[in-house]
Amino acid sequence: MSIFNALNTSASALTAQRLRMDTVSSNIANADTTRATMNENGEYEPYRRKLVSLEAKTPDFQSFLQKASGKSSSPGQGVRVSEISEDQEPFKLVYNPNHPDADQNGYVQLPNVDPLEEMVDLMSATRSYEANVTSVNATKSMLLKALEIGK
Amino acid sequence: MSFFGNTISNLEKSLDYASLKNQTISNNIANADTPGYKAQQVAFKDVLNSEMNNGFQTKRTDARHIDFGSDTAQQSFRIVSNTNTTYNHNGNNVDIDKEMTELAKNQIYYQGLVDRLNGKFSSLQTVIKGGR
Repeated sequence: MSIFNALNTSASALTAQRLRMDTVSSNIANADTTRATMNENGEYEPYRRKLVSLEAKTPDFQSFLQKASGKSSSPGQGVRVSEISEDQEPFKLVYNPNHPDADQNGYVQLPNVDPLEEMVDLMSATRSYEANVTSVNATKSMLLKALEIGK
Repeated sequence: MSFFGNTISNLEKSLDYASLKNQTISNNIANADTPGYKAQQVAFKDVLNSEMNNGFQTKRTDARHIDFGSDTAQQSFRIVSNTNTTYNHNGNNVDIDKEMTELAKNQIYYQGLVDRLNGKFSSLQTVIKGGR
C-alpha cells in the first residue's frame, strides 16, 4: 500500500473529468460542422456528438492477493475512461436550400449536438473536478500532518 | 511494554483507519459519475472496541500457546459497499454531499489524532528530561 494511493485516485478522476470537459468543448465547437467525416459513398457526414464513458478502475493484482490472504481490503484505484463513443441519434434536418451541403429537397443535415445538453454536461464535469480538487487538498494536508508526527 | 502504554498503539490504529477511510472517500468522489458504481465504506466496529480486544486475555497453560487477543488486534478494517440503494438513474449511489462531509470530518479527525500523538510524545519527553 502506497501512501500516495488516495492522491493517485483523485488524480485519475481529475484526468477523466478534464477529458469530459475537452469532449464537451469539442462538441460545442462542432455544433455546426456539416463536413466532419466521409462515409463509404464518398459523401461528407456531419459531426457526431462524442460521449465519454467512465468506469471504475478495477483493483490491481496486489489488492486481490491481499484480499485472498485475508490481510486487508483496499478501496478501488480510481476511475478511467473506458471509451469515447459517438452518439447514434439522428442528425438534425434544417431547411436551407442555399447551403452547399443541402440535398435535392433543400434540407441540410446538422450535427446531433444539443448545446443545452453540452452545457449541463460541462457543469457536471466542472463540479466533479472541483470535488476532486478538494479531495486532493484534504489528502495533501493529511499527509503533511503525518510528517509532523514526533516533531 | 508499559512505558508507552496503550495510547500510542490506539492512536496508530486510528490513524490507519483514518488513512484507509480517506482513500475510500477519494475513490468514491472519483467515481461520482461512473455508471453502476456503488459507494464503499470502511466497516469499523469501533476502532477502540477492537483495541479493547487487546486486553482480552485467554487462559494459557503454556507460554507457547497462541494468544487470541493479540491475533484479533492484527485484523484490519473491512471495506463494504452498499449495493441496495441507487441515487442516480445510472445505478450510481455516491452521495456527494455525504462524501464531502465525511472527507472534512476525517481530515479533522486525522489532524486531531496526530496532535494527540505529538502531545503524548512531548509528555514522554518531559518525563525523560525530568521536567527540565
